[in-house]
Amino acid sequence: MAEGTGQTERLSIWFFVGLLPLLYGLILLPYGIYEAMGHEAPTALNQLHPTLWWGILLLLFGAFYVIRFRPRKG
Amino acid sequence: MPTVSPHLLLLFAAQRLTALAPIDIAVLALYFVIVIFIGFYVKDSTNTSEEFFLAGREMSAWIAGLSFVSANLGSLELMGWAGAAYQYGILAAHWYWIGAIPAMLFLGIVMMPFYYISKTHSVPGYLQLRFGEGARAVSAISFGFMTVLMSGVNMYSMALVMKVVLGWNISFSIWIGAVTVAVYVMLGGLRSAIINEVLQFVLIWAGAALIPILGLIEAGGWSNLKAQIAANVGSNDYTHLWSTLGSFRDNPMGVHWTGIVFGLGFVISFGYWTTDFLVVQRVLSANNLRAAKMAPVIGAAFKMAVPLIVIVPGLLALTVLRNPDGSLMHLVGQDVAAATGQHSYNEVLPLMLIRYCGPGLLGLGITALVAGFMSGMAGNVSAFSTVWTYDIYGAYMNKNAPDRHYVSMGRWSTVVGMLISVGTAYLVAHAASIMDYVQALFSFFIAPLFGTVVLGMLWKRATRSGGFWGLLSGTVASIGMWIWVQRDGTALRYIALSRDAQPMAENLYRALWSFLICVIITCVVSLLTRPTPVSQLAGLVYGATEIPDDGATALWQKPIFWASIVIVVFFILNLIFW
Repeated sequence: MAEGTGQTERLSIWFFVGLLPLLYGLILLPYGIYEAMGHEAPTALNQLHPTLWWGILLLLFGAFYVIRFRPRKG
Repeated sequence: MPTVSPHLLLLFAAQRLTALAPIDIAVLALYFVIVIFIGFYVKDSTNTSEEFFLAGREMSAWIAGLSFVSANLGSLELMGWAGAAYQYGILAAHWYWIGAIPAMLFLGIVMMPFYYISKTHSVPGYLQLRFGEGARAVSAISFGFMTVLMSGVNMYSMALVMKVVLGWNISFSIWIGAVTVAVYVMLGGLRSAIINEVLQFVLIWAGAALIPILGLIEAGGWSNLKAQIAANVGSNDYTHLWSTLGSFRDNPMGVHWTGIVFGLGFVISFGYWTTDFLVVQRVLSANNLRAAKMAPVIGAAFKMAVPLIVIVPGLLALTVLRNPDGSLMHLVGQDVAAATGQHSYNEVLPLMLIRYCGPGLLGLGITALVAGFMSGMAGNVSAFSTVWTYDIYGAYMNKNAPDRHYVSMGRWSTVVGMLISVGTAYLVAHAASIMDYVQALFSFFIAPLFGTVVLGMLWKRATRSGGFWGLLSGTVASIGMWIWVQRDGTALRYIALSRDAQPMAENLYRALWSFLICVIITCVVSLLTRPTPVSQLAGLVYGATEIPDDGATALWQKPIFWASIVIVVFFILNLIFW
């Protein structure tokens, strides 16, 4: 039984908790790299490359939950 | 009345704070796809009424706890309290700490066993078991009415924020939010509402945590921030939680510590966190008694961290927000903002988001706000659907229908509730003062309801008549005091017991008096009426109920152990920011 989503389902609620940040990380990381190559948005502290670092953080957080709670046979 | 525009190009008005880049739209669209998918995914697991209205009572303590705290973490609240932090300073954090933590722990440790073992489906359901049909009818009808109105207020607020920040058409935002929420709650009931609340909790942190991190870097740390605020506003009062509360005159909010401790920390907070079915419903979905006791403790631990993403941005805005010419930006109240074109206090969070977040991150922040609004609507409409089906339709209109019929009624009442909410949203759009009235209405019921429920749970001698008349008189007293202050502003000095009291103090003291009136009337009427036989109180009242063992053996499994840790951290935080 998958935790939180019901008796008959295979995907746990924690899988979804990881999936969304993982997908966001996959979107933000390449864009962050593009920005770090001299295309930063005109925001305060853009020299710290927040999009890149936040993208990496979301990717790692999401990947941990998706792998830990991936659907398994049986 | 505004109409829905069929053309995406027409969605953008001339005036807006910012615009979304394609990457931001991708982030936002992804969220909508996932939530709709979850609705369809869990539909097959919501066939019985227990599954639809209480998520099958199979949620773990972590899921119920995160959902419990998330149901309260709406965007209206986030933006409102960030604005309050700008206006009143760190005093706004009281609404997250003393105004929440003790009550959440009390719910988990003291009250949850009674809610849980009575097997009630709702708070009005508990009142029916303890005080009879009269108390249930008053509570269910007022709650059902209020939840659809609050859902509409949430809907309009989301639309307004999208219009101010992004220039979106009001009707577009209302309908896109309403249809999405109606689809996923109708399909998955409380289960999909809970899953989306847990997702929303993660999203809010993902979207908003960067603001205080980057803000504190820019301000040069907490000590520098305090010094800059003191220099900018000419006072140290904005960064102290307690030291300025000795007098109504000594703090920006115009409140006294007695109002914060007894009005907010005791009555309002306990009333909201222990009797508002919208939040209690999340904990009722727990899969066993220990999970039901642990869920509010887990929720309290996370609640303590929320000021980082709400209060800190409001304080940071006092020093880092600048006009295009480099001068310090001064935010103003809604009325002044409307007249002068300046930004209002409530725009603090979007302004800070725009300051630090470029394409991608901006979309994430906007998605977090949208998720917060939609979660608020879903919470209200799923609670409405449960109370309508169990405590109004099932109790008074059709008592003996098959279970399948009640599930169907739950799905249809979700759609109808959402349509009424849409109507309310348009009503609010045409008369903004209605929003204040709706929020005031909500406060009428909460404080006396807490008096009734807590006496019902802890005092065997409380009788049915006592509970009913106490609830009714407390509510009427609350409404009476509100009307008195509305008609004569000077009445505030009598309710708050000081000539220096500000409007914020009125809510705190009105709640305190209406609670006391409810308790006194309940006690007097109970002592004058025939006691309820103890045999009828089993499972409902302390002293007449044998609380079952929650299965905890080791110290670290005991909810009271974790509650003790949370309360110690709570005291430390209050001392640090004294």
